[in-house]
Amino acid sequence: MKPLGLPLPMFLVFAIVILAGSLGAIHYLIVHVLLRRPFGDEPAGALPGIGAGGERRPAEPPEGGAR
Amino acid sequence: MSGANPYFLTAFVLYLILLMAIAVWAARRTKNVMDFWVFGQKMGPMLATWSLIANFVSSVSVIGFTGAVYASGYSLMTHTILGLMLGVSGLYFVVGLVRRLDVLTFPDLVARVTGMQAARPLAGSVLLVSGWLYLVMQLVGAGLLVTAITGVPYPYMVWILGIVFILYTATGGLVSVAWTDLVQGVIMVAAVIAALAYMVVDMGGLTEINTRFAAMNPTFVDPTGGGQLSWAVIGATFLAFFGTIFTEQDMLIRIAATRDVRTAKIHLAASGAILSVFYSLLVLLGGAAAVALVGSGMGVENPDAAFPTLITRYVPTWLGVTLVLGVMSAILSTTDTRLHAIGMTVARDIYSYFRPRVGEAHLMRVSRTATVLLGLLATAAAMDPPATIIVLYGFRAVLLTSAFLIPVYVAIYWTALDGRAVLAAIVAGAVVGLGGEIAGGSIGPVPATFCGVGAAITLLLVTHWALGPRRRREAALAAVAADEGVG
Repeated sequence: MKPLGLPLPMFLVFAIVILAGSLGAIHYLIVHVLLRRPFGDEPAGALPGIGAGGERRPAEPPEGGAR
Repeated sequence: MSGANPYFLTAFVLYLILLMAIAVWAARRTKNVMDFWVFGQKMGPMLATWSLIANFVSSVSVIGFTGAVYASGYSLMTHTILGLMLGVSGLYFVVGLVRRLDVLTFPDLVARVTGMQAARPLAGSVLLVSGWLYLVMQLVGAGLLVTAITGVPYPYMVWILGIVFILYTATGGLVSVAWTDLVQGVIMVAAVIAALAYMVVDMGGLTEINTRFAAMNPTFVDPTGGGQLSWAVIGATFLAFFGTIFTEQDMLIRIAATRDVRTAKIHLAASGAILSVFYSLLVLLGGAAAVALVGSGMGVENPDAAFPTLITRYVPTWLGVTLVLGVMSAILSTTDTRLHAIGMTVARDIYSYFRPRVGEAHLMRVSRTATVLLGLLATAAAMDPPATIIVLYGFRAVLLTSAFLIPVYVAIYWTALDGRAVLAAIVAGAVVGLGGEIAGGSIGPVPATFCGVGAAITLLLVTHWALGPRRRREAALAAVAADEGVG
C-alpha cells in the first residue's frame, strides 16, 4: 500500500505531523465550541495591564517572593 | 548588478515600499510603551494567528528545509517538524495559565516561578544572546537567498534588508510587526501552495512526484532516512525543537499581546493546524524540487541552492515572482519579530530591573534605541559572520530546552515547588546541555538535549526535597499569596 506514492510509515509520519499540529484546534473545537466551556478569564476590565478606568498601563514587573 | 533579474528586482522593491507604507500607518497607532511592546494587549485572533505563522516560518526553514529534503529526503518530518508542531499544540494546553500569570516576557515568567527578580536580567541575557544570534543567522540566510534570486550583490542586499526591517520595527514596535506579518503570512502560504500546485500539475500528480523521488533513493521516503538516524538522535532533535516553542521570547511576547485567553488559545490552535499543513506542503515541495531539478539536469551541489534554483531556472516568471515575495515575507516577518523581541528584552528584562522607576516614555526610548543598535550590529555581523557565531547558533535550541523547558513549566503547575530548586535546575540544565553540545553533541551515547533535560529534572527534584518540608510549606504559602493577586 503506497498512499500518494509514499510507503505507509512515511505517509503515517505526515499524518501524525498534521494531527500533532491540530491537537489544539481539535481541543478548542470540542471543549470551547461544542461543549461551550469557559476560558477561566477574568472580566475584561480586570485583565492584567489594564487600569481601573480601562486605560492601558505597563504591567509592573512581578514582585519578588512570588514563590 | 548585471545579473539582476528585472522582474524579481521590481517585485522586491515594490514589496519593500508596501511594507514601509503599512509600517508608517501602523506606527501612528503606537501610542505608548505597551502598544510598542505587546500591541497594548489588544491583539485579536486573526492578527495574532497570522502574525505567529509569519514569524514561525523563517528564511532558514524555507531554504533549509527544502534543501534538507533535497539532500536527505522526508525524514525531517520525523523529528524537527514533528517537534515544532507538537510544541505549538503543547503550548496551546498551557497558554491559559501563562496568559493569566500577568507576564509580558519569558524572563518575567522565570522570575515569577523562582520568586527571584534577579532571574529577569539573567534569563533576559541568555535570551538576548540567543535572539541576536538567531537574527544574524536569519540575515545571513536571507541575504544569500535574495542575492541568488535577484542578482543584487550580497553586501548591498544585507544592508537593504537590515535597514528596512530595523526602520519599521523601531518605528511602530509590535503594532508594525504584527500588521506587516499579516500581509507577509498570507503571501508566504499562498506562494508555497501555488508553487506546489504548479509542480503537481507539471509533473503529473503528487503520487508521481513521490514515486520518482523514492526511485532516486529509497531512503528519501523512509522516516529514519533508511536507518541513518538512530531513534536517540531523532528523539533528541524532536525534544530540542519541541522545547524552543515554550522558551523563545517572541512566543511569550505574542501570548502577552493577545487580548484574552480565548484569543491566546485560538491563535495557537489555528496556527498549529495551518503550520502543520504548510510544513507538510513545503516538504513535499522540496521533494518535487529534487525530482524536477535532477530530472531536468539542473541538479545542485549545495542543497541550500535547490530552492533558489527552482525559482530562477525552473518555474515560469510569474510563479518565480510569487515565490520571491513569499521568500521575502518569510525573511522579514521572522527578522522583525526577533528584533522586536530583543529590543524588548533589553528594555523590559534588563534595563527596567536596574532602573525600576523610569517612566513609560523613557522605556520606549530604550526599546527603540536597543532595537536600532542591535539591529545594526546584527546586520554588520551578517556581512561576514565569525565562525563563533555559527557555532553558538547551533547551541541555541539545546540551551533553551535544557535550561528552561522542564523547570519553568513544571513550576507553573507545581506551585509548592521551591524557587531555588527551579533556579538550580535551570543552571544545571544549561551547564550540562551546553557541555554536551561542546563535547560533540552527546555525553557518551546520550544526546546533549537528553543530558541537559535529565540534569534539570534531577536537580529540580533533589534540591526541592533537600530543602525540607518547612521550606516547601513557606514556598507554597508565598505562591498562594502571589496567586491571589493574579486571579
